[in-house]
Amino acid sequence: MTSSLWRQHVLPFTVLLGLLAVATIAGDYLLHRLNLVWVGRYLGIPGTLLIIGSLVYSLRKRKYITAGNPKTLLTLHEVGTWLGSLMVLIHAGIHFNAILPWLATVAMGVNVISGMVGKLLLRRSREHVLGQREHYQLRGLAKVEVERAVFWDAVTLDTMNQWRKVHIPIFIVFAVLSLGHIISIFLFWGWI
Amino acid sequence: MSRFLKIILAANLIVLAVLAFVYPHLMVGPGKLIPGHKQLEADCFACHAAFTGADSPRCVTCHKPAEIGRLTSAGLPIAKPLTSTPFHQKLVSQDCVACHSDHAGVKRFRPVGHFNHRLLEKATRDECQSCHKSPKDNLHQQITGNCSQCHSQDKWVPATFDHDKYFELDRDHNDRCVTCHVRNDYSRYTCYGCHEHSSDKIRRKHIKEGIRDYDNCVECHRNADEHDIRGPYGDGKGKGEGQREGGHGRREHDD
Repeated sequence: MTSSLWRQHVLPFTVLLGLLAVATIAGDYLLHRLNLVWVGRYLGIPGTLLIIGSLVYSLRKRKYITAGNPKTLLTLHEVGTWLGSLMVLIHAGIHFNAILPWLATVAMGVNVISGMVGKLLLRRSREHVLGQREHYQLRGLAKVEVERAVFWDAVTLDTMNQWRKVHIPIFIVFAVLSLGHIISIFLFWGWI
Repeated sequence: MSRFLKIILAANLIVLAVLAFVYPHLMVGPGKLIPGHKQLEADCFACHAAFTGADSPRCVTCHKPAEIGRLTSAGLPIAKPLTSTPFHQKLVSQDCVACHSDHAGVKRFRPVGHFNHRLLEKATRDECQSCHKSPKDNLHQQITGNCSQCHSQDKWVPATFDHDKYFELDRDHNDRCVTCHVRNDYSRYTCYGCHEHSSDKIRRKHIKEGIRDYDNCVECHRNADEHDIRGPYGDGKGKGEGQREGGHGRREHDD
């Protein structure tokens, strides 16, 4: 792996993911320190709304809607889901009591990571493996030898591809589990 | 998404949905119930009404307000009541969840001891000692009742009573409260409780200065410094400040 690949793609991915973890812990700590734990209880609402709002990009991408600049919507999708996830994580960190919201949180985490893999790693890694393959072919290696040389890179790329493919199914799991959690809250909690 | 993946997904979600109905206390319940309600753990609607939450009428079916603090929900006398006087009968409204929460996860947001005294009827609210024991320290052991003179009903501390506002308790007056407040009656005081201030001595001193009304000592004297005179004979500052209910008698002096 070249240094530019690390610097330009792997590092931002790690930093963004690390930042999400650090911001969650810091947010949770601050709410406890400032005696504002009750705020965390309600952070799930704006977090969920942000995530739902960011789905406009997914609709635009699949041509369910035609309005909006895809690039802008993608940026909004990335920022909205990151911030929304942060709020939901702080909300979840405040009180882990039931299994259903736990599973929803895990599904959301997998969803965020798979989305970030798609954004930051996959395209560049694919180019990297293609470049390697061309490089070995130009050196006159036989097709079998080329495949052997790029074997582990190809395996890694394939794993990333699978990880990327998980984004939509795991989102459905996340959506259904979250819906179950939300329904249970409305069903059992006295809002008034 | 492949057909196989869709089937796996759907199967998993169906299993989770079934589990939510079979084990609601584990899947969606915000933590364990209090030990007394353990048998209700899987029966959410024993306490909760759909979309309005836990409602008091359901609590009251087991916990009769007239019996709370006296009898258990099984009708047996309570061996060790938490308060010496039952007070649930003297609440302004029967809103159980205003104070009580059963799930461990919810209790975290309602720490024990955060009782809102405004839920009590006015007369009961002022009878602090019927629920609270007086602290064992020297000061509180000398006082009975009238807690609101120093403490609010929201927090025990900070206590706001400032004795210096009435009289500075310097080293010459560092004595037991009862020396001045006879029978712990803090609405009155006397300065004749010690050897230094006999009524005869004080009378002679004041008559000599032409002062006939000297019953309310703190009207002029707020500390041990006999030259620091407030009120009509002083420099004017502090007149009328901190008058006690016990101040009595005529105000005028013979000049």
